This record gives sequence, structure tokens and C-alpha cells, in this order.
Amino acid sequence: MDLQELRITAALAYLELDEEEYEKLEGAVDQMLQYFSKMMEVDVSDLPPTTHALVRENRTRPDDVLPFTDTDSLLENAPETEARFIVIPNIL
Amino acid sequence: MSSMTRWIGLLSDPKNLETYQRYVETIEPKIGAFLEFDPRRGLTESSAEGPLKGVPFAVKDILAVKGFRLTCGSRILEGFVSPYTATAVEKLQQAGAVVVGKTNMDEFGMGSSSDTSFYKRTNNPWDLDRVAGGSSGGSAAAVACGLVPFALGSDTGGSVRQPAAFCGIYGLKPTYGVVSRYGLVAYASSLDVVGICASTVEITAEMFTHIRGKDDRDQTSVEPPVKAWGNEGAERQVRRIGVVTGNLGLEAGVERAYKTTQEVLRSLGYEIEPVELSMLEYYAPVYYTIAMAEASANLARYTGIRYGYRPEYAENPEELVRKARSEGFGDEVKLRILLGTYVLRSGFQDQYYQRAQRIRTAIRKDFDRVFHEVDVILSPVFPTQAFRHGAEGLDPFQQKVADRFTTAANLAGIPALSFPAGLEGGLPVGFQLMAPVFAEDLLFQVARRFAGVVPPPKAPTNTSPWS
Amino acid sequence: MYQSFIGLEIHIQLLTQSKVFCSCPVRFGDEPNTNVCPVCMGYPGVLPSLNREAVKYGYVVARALNCQLSPVTVFERKNYFYPDMPKNYQISQYAFPIGRNGYMDIEFRKKKKRVRIHEVHLEEDAGKSIHAGDLSLLDYNRAGTPLLEIVTEPDLEIGEEAEVLLQNFRRMVRYLGVCDGNMEEGSLRCDANVSVNLRGQGLGKKVEIKNLNSSRFVRLALNYEIARQEEILSRGGTILQETRLWNENRDITEGMRRKESAHDYRYFPEPDLPPFTADEIFLKEVEESLVELPDQRKNRFLTQYNLSEALAEFLTAEKSTADFFERTVGQGADPAAAATWLSSDVQKLLNRQGITLPASPLSPERFAELLVLLQEGKIHGKLGKQVLEILFQEDKSPAQILKERGWEQITDLGTIGGIVEKILARNPHVVETIRKGDMKPWGFLVGQIMKETGGKADPRVVQTLLKERLQASSLYLLTFGGAISGRRDRDGMVVPGGSIAIQKILQQDPAWKDRVRVEELPGEEILSEEITPADWATLILRTASLLQEGNAKGIVITHGTDTLAYTASLFHWLFGKAEIPLVFTAASLPPEEGTEAAQNILQAVELAAQGRGGVSVVFGGERFEPVNLRFSSLDPMRFYTWNQKRIRKEAPSPFPLFGGGLEEESLRMRIEGIVRRVFIVKVFPCMQGEQLLSLIKAGVRFFILELFDTGTANLRQSPFSLKKAFEIGKQEGVHFFCTSQQEGIVDFSGYVTAHALWKEGAIPMGGLATESVYTKLIAASLYAESDEEILRWMEANSADIG
Repeated sequence: MDLQELRITAALAYLELDEEEYEKLEGAVDQMLQYFSKMMEVDVSDLPPTTHALVRENRTRPDDVLPFTDTDSLLENAPETEARFIVIPNIL
Repeated sequence: MSSMTRWIGLLSDPKNLETYQRYVETIEPKIGAFLEFDPRRGLTESSAEGPLKGVPFAVKDILAVKGFRLTCGSRILEGFVSPYTATAVEKLQQAGAVVVGKTNMDEFGMGSSSDTSFYKRTNNPWDLDRVAGGSSGGSAAAVACGLVPFALGSDTGGSVRQPAAFCGIYGLKPTYGVVSRYGLVAYASSLDVVGICASTVEITAEMFTHIRGKDDRDQTSVEPPVKAWGNEGAERQVRRIGVVTGNLGLEAGVERAYKTTQEVLRSLGYEIEPVELSMLEYYAPVYYTIAMAEASANLARYTGIRYGYRPEYAENPEELVRKARSEGFGDEVKLRILLGTYVLRSGFQDQYYQRAQRIRTAIRKDFDRVFHEVDVILSPVFPTQAFRHGAEGLDPFQQKVADRFTTAANLAGIPALSFPAGLEGGLPVGFQLMAPVFAEDLLFQVARRFAGVVPPPKAPTNTSPWS
Repeated sequence: MYQSFIGLEIHIQLLTQSKVFCSCPVRFGDEPNTNVCPVCMGYPGVLPSLNREAVKYGYVVARALNCQLSPVTVFERKNYFYPDMPKNYQISQYAFPIGRNGYMDIEFRKKKKRVRIHEVHLEEDAGKSIHAGDLSLLDYNRAGTPLLEIVTEPDLEIGEEAEVLLQNFRRMVRYLGVCDGNMEEGSLRCDANVSVNLRGQGLGKKVEIKNLNSSRFVRLALNYEIARQEEILSRGGTILQETRLWNENRDITEGMRRKESAHDYRYFPEPDLPPFTADEIFLKEVEESLVELPDQRKNRFLTQYNLSEALAEFLTAEKSTADFFERTVGQGADPAAAATWLSSDVQKLLNRQGITLPASPLSPERFAELLVLLQEGKIHGKLGKQVLEILFQEDKSPAQILKERGWEQITDLGTIGGIVEKILARNPHVVETIRKGDMKPWGFLVGQIMKETGGKADPRVVQTLLKERLQASSLYLLTFGGAISGRRDRDGMVVPGGSIAIQKILQQDPAWKDRVRVEELPGEEILSEEITPADWATLILRTASLLQEGNAKGIVITHGTDTLAYTASLFHWLFGKAEIPLVFTAASLPPEEGTEAAQNILQAVELAAQGRGGVSVVFGGERFEPVNLRFSSLDPMRFYTWNQKRIRKEAPSPFPLFGGGLEEESLRMRIEGIVRRVFIVKVFPCMQGEQLLSLIKAGVRFFILELFDTGTANLRQSPFSLKKAFEIGKQEGVHFFCTSQQEGIVDFSGYVTAHALWKEGAIPMGGLATESVYTKLIAASLYAESDEEILRWMEANSADIG
């Protein structure tokens, strides 16, 4: 993966990396992609993908309301709140 | 069951509780198994009665326990307290068992040493200069030095089995879905299972019966067919054991122990048959492609907005999220998120992610084939014994390549049990048995008979009066 | 010539009790972050659990949109970062959505279109953020609400069509009970994409438009955007592929200020949710959840209850209204009466109280009881309205109300008969006048009888008894000018009007002697080319009152030949539903100059005496339908029907019977009000379209354009085209009804230029001739309160009877 692709990928993943990190990661990323390329040896044309490990049956739940009672604890985990809103900076 | 008797009721008695805490306080500073230790808090959430009344157990810090912190070894969840409890933990609490603390781990389960934890390193109870393995290193170490009879871990590609082997204990990776994943912080959702670290086969099997079962909160969970259960008197008897052969690249000590283990099993009357796993060399690439892809999405929720680490200053949401993630995640996690994002990108997805999913099908088929010939499979867990901390040990890439034996069970969804097979050079060696889906009983059957000949070793740091 | 392509992405929040992947309530308006849990807040370690009802609603909508339903549907993760979205991936669908390849039929400006549905998929909604100063405030109550996305193919061309589709869709989901369809509150949301290109070149650069929170904005924004893109292209510019926002304060679309970063959603199957298999039991449940959809129900109402288009449309707009109507009819009420009352008096009361029908105290049972009382003549209309008002205030049945207030009607023949006798005896000279054929004092007599009974006598019984006693039911002949009732003066010119000649013809025929009441309408001494609104007002009101009094068995109207096509069709629209025959006839020469007039009159009288109800025309031994008449003055002089084969389909009047109820003066003013704003234009090669602008400036708002063929005209960018007139017309609220100069059907098919006219706003009038369109417009204006209503009447066909 060239540096340009690495930057695009980092942007998609919302990772902000400094130049030193890019340098370090570039090698590690290449090493892994090299390793992944071993998969190209396998003829996959007749193989359906496995997306779920063990699928046995439909799983759904009935449309019943079961409120979570301790919503305050969810707000307590938020770094900043105001009048029950979760607050983030947004300077236009 | 004799191995459990001394633990039952232990924490229900305040005097014993104090003795217990003192023991942990003498051992823990050397080992560093726990990120948080608070048996008194754990007591408030457990049933006062039940078959596991007062039995202490530890929980890997990737499983949610209400009132305890849930950090996954990551800075990005610094200070985060869980408002709910994982299903597997809840089931044990209902049976009376008590959570004494949360154990150290590789950040988000990504590693084989527990050294990628943001908070501390965990030392191997057999040699403090060495790693306890990972990612469930804290759980395995806590069991190995007698701090708890068992601990919960998680196994995405070997994270319970490898530290169990490094610490000389048992490590169970159940069939995918048989234990609810609700409350298990996701690394790679289609591979993750809740696993058990325990000091004996009996405890492993017993705890497994406690935590298994279909859960409404996990729609990938399954109820196993009834007749596959039961330890004693199971209908099926293992006769043939397939042994993975070929050039496996094992360390000399491990190689030696592997041969000895086969001999012992043969002496127990099992037919030992060499089997070749034709897809072996693809396990790790396929595993890492899928795991990283899923991880890149699973870890997207950590942004510093609703919980966890928030950077000092940001002007807008985008900057806030980027800073939180860049400062909150460690190098290994960032590497895996990057790779996972990349293999899913349009233009690359066919070549990597989709191809890996297709090969995963071939791997499952290969196991189906082998299980037509043998009842269970014996294989190495890891090519080495516990390695040293830092530069003298294995580098991150070597560690990944070394996962080739353990990742298979996760890719195929089958159960696997890592069991101790004696010592080599003063350090434990462990091997794993793999069985068809839902056939955990076969694993326990063989491991129990093996332990009759080669009992699990006791770590020098383990001076616990209860184990 | 440009072509435009519009596709819509519609999101609807499903009306489930709980969220799609957790058990939190779906409820809005609560305090922030109260309807949340670790799952919908994206906490570490939680898992989604699929709500079966949400999946079912999804399949129901997909089925109603005629989609191919997926036997197995799969959820996938759509990855992108957004502060409102807790997991930073949205659980959505990609490779295996619930449904695909469906369609929805719409009709706009009489043009039917099948809009293809690309797919229907289920996903989760995000939370909401409010910007305040330098902060954003996040509320996740909405996060995890089940959201169904419907994506259409780019089959729409203009904003109006998109608006129609959206309105139909909204009505459909409300019928199905899966969404409340509230666009202001965001439970129904619509994004649109538009591209414009030279005709025949396929799709152009796609521009997305967001922030469309009403169907009106959808129309305005799309039309603005199409015009903007056409303008850029015509200058030789290129369109920027982008997302634009609708600015409702400025009525324009604007490029987004903050540039969105490039997306790559990296879809992959959601490992936490197993694929969903739609098994037989599930599909059966889906089928059972389907209800009759608005269009089907409307069509059924048209035929089953024989309702007008407008009433059927009104009744089926809301499922609750349609259900109410059918329950009322099920209790024995007359469908036409139930529909009319619901759309007028009941609706007025609802509006006054600001409530909806299902929320009102009126029940179908009580409403039906009231209507049956009216039907059986037990109460009269005025009393009915009073009872209805009380039904909205008191919890009592109509019978109870009548009893308590002593409002029960007298229907007993004996009682009323006695009173009739008394009144007749009291007014001998009035009786004499009526017996002679002058019906004017009829109303006086009825009034006297009603007064005597304190208003309680059943008016219908009164009418019947009076008719019996005075033997008043008879044939009428109204003279309305023209040569048929005229004579030639000394200069050899035809002088119209009068009735002497006609009286003579009737008296000479033994069959009709003394059997036809001939009336000269005031001011009828005109030639038919001299007709003014006042003349039509007189004729219309006299006809209406004859129909209301109920004494006429049939009515003949003598008329000039030149404009007979107009008056006859006007009467058809107004009185097409009359129960007795209304027969027009005419002659080219005065009666004294041959047998033509006499023959036509006698045939008309015969038809009036025996024919079926409604309007017809008799001339030269033939009977004609009243619409699409054309007169040929060549020898032999004759009428013929334009587009004869088509006319059975176009002809039935969509209007209810015109009841009069107006002063002559105000009817005249209403007619003047419309004709002042109408202009008929025949297009011709090299026509200067801009000349129409001066007419628009002068107040013309309705053009009837006589086009070529199936509706073609020049719309190029040139002074010799209609382009400018349409552009300005659109801004000024001008409507263009299109007929053809050739016999044929105007449906804007076949030619690019015709299609362009439709796009620009022209309304095709099918097979109707210009004269009939003009009178339909006059008729429509008498029923409508606004230009929009006029438009609706003009587009309305009644049920096909062809």
C-alpha cells in the first residue's frame, strides 16, 4: 500500500497519524498485506462466503418495550453533558 | 469435583474473605493479573445461594460487569464503568460465584502477550520475565497462581488457549454461539467466543455447563442439541484421535512434548492417526483478514463522545473523534484498524475480505472431512513456550504467524480445549484438542483421562491453600 | 431539448412499539436521552436483536410496492463516522434487501406512469443533534428507530410528479398503518436526485437534494434544480456532481457549505445478526397485513357506489374516512348521500372543531341512522343539518334528538292531505293559474302548507299530494332564441325569439295539443351567437328550478344552431345527472319556411316525453350526445359528433346535479368571472408565443390551446414558440388545457414536442372538443372555490362506461 492509500485509509478510519507513525505503520502494513496475498493461491470460484459461523434458524424478538431504567448511568459516562444532552464542541 | 470443594463458600465468610484478600495481595504485585480487584463489590451482585456460592472468579476486562470498570486494556476506555453485566458473568453470579476483579489483557484482545495493554504487563507465574500469553493473559495467570479456581476470557483466534498453554492450565474455546456474547466487547464478531481458564478439566467442564445456552440478547447464540451433553456417561466415546502432522515449525521443547503427548494418548488406548490439514498455511492470513475487517467496524464506536477518553481540546466533532482515537488507541490496534479498513474498501474488498470469507468455507469443509475420519484432533497451540517480555520475545508479526494452530477453531466455529502436557525446561507446554461443533464433551473426556497420567503442573508462585 | 431524470430516496419511520435492534420505546418528544439503553447508545459489548415486527412492516411495504420479496434478507454494516450515529456504522442492507424491482403507478395531468422501485431496505435511524453556539447537543432518543428506505429508479421527470408520487406513497403507508407519514416531524423523509441531459443522451451528472421536509418543497426544489441545470447546460457549462440543500426561505437550492468527505461505506454482512428467512408462516402474516390500497379503494368506490371522482378521492384520502363511509353504508345509508354529507356538512363541523373524523363524537351508526331518516323522508335536509350539529355535541341517537325536541316529521298522508285541501280551498285563484300552466305560484302553495304544519310536513309528501291534486306533471318547452322560434322580417332578415310559431306547431299536432307548457324565457329574443352570461344564467336557473320543483316530466329547449354545441355541453356538465330528459333542438330556418323546425320540435318533444334522463340533442331526425357536437352548414345542414368513438368514455359528467340555489345576478357574475379569464387559442405555424403574454397580463388564467395532432406545438427557444408563455404562465398561475385541431386524442404521446408540453404544465383533455372543454371549465368554476379545485374538476373523469 503506498502512502497515499494509507492516508485515505486512515482518514476513513478517523485516525490522525503523524509522519513518524506513518513511516512505522507503512512497513507493518506492507508486511501484513504481503502475508495476506498468500490467499491468492486458493481457487475460490466454487466457494460461497462464510459470513456467519453457525446459522441455524431465524432469530428475532417480539415487538415488546422493555425500557432501560438506569439511563442516568449512561449520561454519567459521558465526558460532558448539559440538561441531559451529550455535549461536543462544534465551532463553525 | 474435589478440586472445587475448598473454594465453595470461601467468600461468603468474612474471615475467609480477609484471608483470601491477603493471599491475593502477596501474589498479585509480582504477577499483575488484575486491572481492578474488589471482591466486596463483586459480592453485592451475586446470589447468596447456589452451587457456586462464594466461589471467587476473575473476569477478563473485555467482559462487562455492572459497577466494575470495562477498559479492554485500552486508554480509550479509561475510567469507563459498565452499566450492565455480560450474560455469561450473570449466569455465574446467579449460581453464587463472585466476581473478584477484572484481568489484564492485550488491548481489545489484539495480541499474544498481554503486553499491548495500556495499563500494565502481566508476568508468567512460572517465570516472571516471561509473558503470560494473550490476550487473556491476566485470566490465565490468575488461575495459574491460585488467585481464582477459574476465570473468564475471550478467544477470537486463540486468546484463551495460548495463555492457558503458557501458564500450564486448561483453556476452553467453546463452539461459536454456545455461550452468549452479550457483554463481550467485540473484536471480531464472527469469531469471538467467551472462553474459560481453569485449573482442572472438571472445573472447566462444570463452568461450561453454567455459562452455555441460547440468549435472547445474542441472536447468534444457539442452544446445543441435548444429547451431546454430560461429562460422565456420555453416549459417544472417543476412539480415534487425529494428530496434525507435517512440518509444523515447532520449537524443540514443544516438538518433544508433542511426541510424548501422542505416546501417552496411545498408551491410554486411543488410535492415533496422522491427519493433514490441507488449509493450515491459510489459517492465519484468512483469520487476520476477517478479524481486522470486523474489528475496524467494531472499534468505530470509540470516539470520546459518549464515553471514554476525550482529548483536551478540539474545535469540532471530526477533530474530537480523530484526536480521541489517535491518542486513545495503541499501535497494534491502530495497525489492525487500518488494515481492516483497507481490506473492506471498495476495489480491495474482493481481493481480501471476500476472498478470505470464501477460503473460510474451504477451511470448514476441510474440518468436516477430517471429522469423518477421526473423533477429535490433537494439534499444537503455539510453536513456542512462553516467550520473554520485550525485544527478546517474539515481534508482533511473528506472534501473528504463530497463531496458525489456534485460529482454525475460530474460523470453523468448532470447540477446542488447550490442556497442560507437562513441563519442558521448567516451563509448561500445552496442546489443544479440537472436536466437531457441540462436541465439547469429547474434549473433556480425553483431557480427563490424559490428566490421570500427566496431572496439571502447579506453578511455583501458586501457594494457594485452596487449589 | 433537455430531458430530466428524478429519483427519490424515501425514508419512513416504522410505527413499531420498540426500536429495531433493542427494546427501548419508539417515542418522541420526551426528555433527551431517556429512551436509550446500552444497545442504542453503542456501548461496548452489546449486540443488536432484531424486532420481528419491523421486518414484517418492511415486507408489507415492499409487497405493496409490487417488489420481488427476498426469500432471505441480510443485514449489513454501512460504515461512516457521524456524531449522531452511536456505532459509527449503520446496520442497513445492501446485497440482499427486503425487496427489489417493484413499481408504483402514478397519474399526473392525466398522464399515467409506472415508476420503478429499485429497492426497499430496513435500517436504523440515527440520533439528533442541535447546534448551540460553539457546541452540538446530542440526543439519542431517535437512534435505533426502525427506518425503511425506499429507492426509486430515476423515472420521474418534473417536480409535480415527484410530489404526486410522494403523496400517494404517504397515503399508502398510512393505509398500511406502518408510518404516520408526518413530513414536518421527519417520520417521512425524502431526498431527491436529479440529472438533466440533452434528450436521448441518457442520465446526466447526478445532483442530490436534501432538506426537503414537505412534498411541496420536493416539487419546488426539483423544478428549481431542473431549471438551474438546464440554464447551465444551455450556456455550455457543466453540472457539478454534488449534494445541495433546499433553502425554504429563499426558494432555491444551495451547495453545501461544508464539503462532505468522500465516502466508502465498506458494506459487509452484519455478523451479529443471522440472515432472516421469510418462511411461509411469515409471508402469510405479511399477506394478512396488506389492506386494500388507496388507488384500488378509490376505483372500487367509483364503480361500486357510483360516486364522482372528486367524492371518491375525498373519501379515500384517509383510510379512516373510507372505513367510516363504508360502515355508514353498511348500516343502510345511501352511498351518494353519505359521501356528500361527509364531504360537506360533516367536514365543515370537523373543521370548525379542529378534529378528525375518527376523533369526533359522530359514529357511523348514528350517522347512518340520520341519513336513513332523510332517505325515508322522515326529516328534511335543513332539520338533518341541525340534528347533525347536535350529534357532535350530545351523546344521543338522532331518533332521541328528534323526539326530545319535538322535531319528528309529519309523513302521514291523511294528515298532510287534509292540510293540502285546506290550503287549496283557501287559494282558488292560485289553483286556477297553475291549472292553466303557469307554475310560478307553486312554491307559494308549498310554503303555505309547510307553514300550516309548523315546518314539520315531509316536503316530498307535500309535493306528491300537490301534483296529484293539480295534475301538474307535464312537459315543458323553453324557448331560447334562434331561428327555430323566429320569423323573417320585411327586410328578409331572421328575427329570433317568441313562441307563437312553436305554440302553433304543437297545437296543430293532436298528440301534443295542450300537453306542452311553452315558456318564453325573459330576454330570449336573441340569435345564438349573441348569448351573454346573463342569458345562460337565466336558462340554467329556470332549468334548475324545474328540476327541483319536480313537476316536469321532460324539458325541451329550442336554441340557435351556431352555439348549440356550447350550451348543450354546458347543460350536460351541469345537468347530466338529471332524472328527466333535457332535449335541445334547433333549426336553420324559422318554422314558417318549411317543415324542418316543426319536425325537430316534434321529435324533441317526443324524446322529452319518453327518453331517459340527462341531456341530448335532436336535429334532422337524429339524436346526439350533448358533448363534442360540431355543426356543418353545408347542404344538408347537420350536426356530427367529433371523436365519436372516444366520446362515450369522456362524456359522463363528473359533476353532481346543479341545484341552483343562487340569485340570477350572482350566477351571471360567476359565469362572467370565469369567462373573463378564459381564452381559446388555436396554435399555428410561426405563431408568436409572446403574444399570449399580453393576454396573461390582461388577466387570462385559463387557456384552451388547440394544438396539432395528439398535442404538439413548438416549444423551442425561439420567438415562434410557446416556451415563454409557459414560463411566465407557470409563475402567474396560468393553466393550459389542450385540445386538438384534428380529430384524435390529446395525450401528449408520440412526439418529443408533445411530451415537452406536458412537462411544461399543459393539461391534455383527451378526446374532448374545444367547445366542450370551454363549457366544462365554466361548469367547474360553479362548483369550485379555487383555481386548484377547478383544475381537479377539469382532470376528473367519471367512471368509464365505454
